[in-house]
Amino acid sequence: MLHYTRGQCRKKKKLQGFCFFYYLLNMAAPLVVRRELFSLVKILGGISQLGPRGLGACSNHRKCSQTRFELLQRPNTFFHTAAYLSSTPFTITVTDEPDTLFQKVVVLVKAHDRAVLDSYEFFATMAAKELGITMGKVFEPPKDIERLTLLKSVHIYKKHRVQYEMRTHYRSIELLHVTGCTAQVYLEYIQRNLPEGVAMEVTKTAMEKIPDHILEPMWKDHPIDDKSSK
Amino acid sequence: MASFGSKVFLSLGRTNVSGVGFKKTGNRATYATALTVNSSSTNKDLPARGGKGSTGRRPKRGPGEPRTEKMALDQDWTSVYPAATPFRANAVPLPLRMGYPVKRGIPPEKKGNLELIKIPNFLHLTPAAIRKHCEALKPFCTEWPSALDTDAKCDELFPVKIQSTDYVSAGPSIRNPSARVVHMKVKLSSLNLDDHARKKMLKLVGDRYCKDSDILTIKTESCPLRQQNYDYAMYLLTVLYHESWKIEPWEAEKTRADMEEYSWEDSTSQKNILDTLLRINATGEGEEAEVREQLLGREEVLEYKDSVETLKNEEPSESNMLRYKEAVRKVLKV
Repeated sequence: MLHYTRGQCRKKKKLQGFCFFYYLLNMAAPLVVRRELFSLVKILGGISQLGPRGLGACSNHRKCSQTRFELLQRPNTFFHTAAYLSSTPFTITVTDEPDTLFQKVVVLVKAHDRAVLDSYEFFATMAAKELGITMGKVFEPPKDIERLTLLKSVHIYKKHRVQYEMRTHYRSIELLHVTGCTAQVYLEYIQRNLPEGVAMEVTKTAMEKIPDHILEPMWKDHPIDDKSSK
Repeated sequence: MASFGSKVFLSLGRTNVSGVGFKKTGNRATYATALTVNSSSTNKDLPARGGKGSTGRRPKRGPGEPRTEKMALDQDWTSVYPAATPFRANAVPLPLRMGYPVKRGIPPEKKGNLELIKIPNFLHLTPAAIRKHCEALKPFCTEWPSALDTDAKCDELFPVKIQSTDYVSAGPSIRNPSARVVHMKVKLSSLNLDDHARKKMLKLVGDRYCKDSDILTIKTESCPLRQQNYDYAMYLLTVLYHESWKIEPWEAEKTRADMEEYSWEDSTSQKNILDTLLRINATGEGEEAEVREQLLGREEVLEYKDSVETLKNEEPSESNMLRYKEAVRKVLKV
């Protein structure tokens, strides 16, 4: 039997207080602040589809939005100094709620430009290596070309047409054996640095135990009269 | 047009300050500061330029030397490009050229190059920057439990797999309706099912079961939220499990045609072979029932039974047919 205790090994980490990502990536002018605000709303809006079972991001979002406005009112003169960062404390609370386990997380990025995807792949693979996430396959699915043939002229001249095409290049990065906290951190980091014009699809395969009510059939304890109990 | 506007503005400012009892005191303050700066500069420059009249502008400063000249070789690049910003030619100390070259020429230089500004750059994500970011992100990550290093162990302890997709893209809306789809995969061997329950479950589930991999896939997309679809999938699994353990009274009417597998006992094949053997050995030794039982116990008959069952249950292949042929020859002693 494997010694595996739920509470000890898999504890979720919740961020309370300031939103740390905001600090890391927003050390420039307030114009950039607004963009990151929007992207955070974008990402957390997508994650909030999980509903009440969510990863705690929804509640943090509210806290983060309050503190973000406090930051804007502070003087921007010494943004770059270490004093600014160290003076604002952020606390990590470890809860006893068991962390989700993802057997596989597949990140598929789509763009119109292959060079952008090359750079993004380098960034994503390096980030995964630095954070200690085991990587599976990193490959390039074949591109899709959608072609349209339209009439060249506004009126008549049916024999003269013009053809356009839209090329979509793909890149797939597979991560194996990721915990829920690590997945959330990595995906948020990746998605915040998603370049313009690049779309992403993340397919997560979570593992779960068999629920308790499926371990034994309920007819064993409560046999029904006209049916033989098993 | 802009210059004319600014001239008018300045003249307005001057009149406002000179006029007595003007109402907008707040404006007067702003106009006053603008005026003082302008008047001091124009006083200095009028004799030098001697041109533009009373509304002389401040002299434009030249662009100066680009920042790249002042950059040290061992500077901290993460502070030059801390976040995603468009390409600035005088802040990137690289001799870049981009664009389609004119005939017998080279691609245009980086100064004022729109192509370099248009393309998304990764200057804020150099390896040094990534390392810094990851160092700061490490405290928020948790480790994978070391006991679950192989896939087999994961499947044994956590047989239920939930698959869902998130979408990130730019557009008028951040929502994607396909994000609510949930696939739930379970291996039937990991569920507590007996023979009858397993067969009933397969009949209830139909196409959703894959024989080769023994995986039952339930895809739910009827609810608007992912959480609701997940709950519905778990509900379906629970109902399937409990219903398959139930034995309904009408299940006793199961005929041979409803059986999933072919069984040789009490089949026409058994009847035929026993009749044939009896006719061959028609000496009439004892009662027919006893003789039949004896015949059933014989090796050749058992071999024949095995070969017929493999032929019917599995796909017919060369080896199966040969085996059947051999068994028939042995039974009929041909």
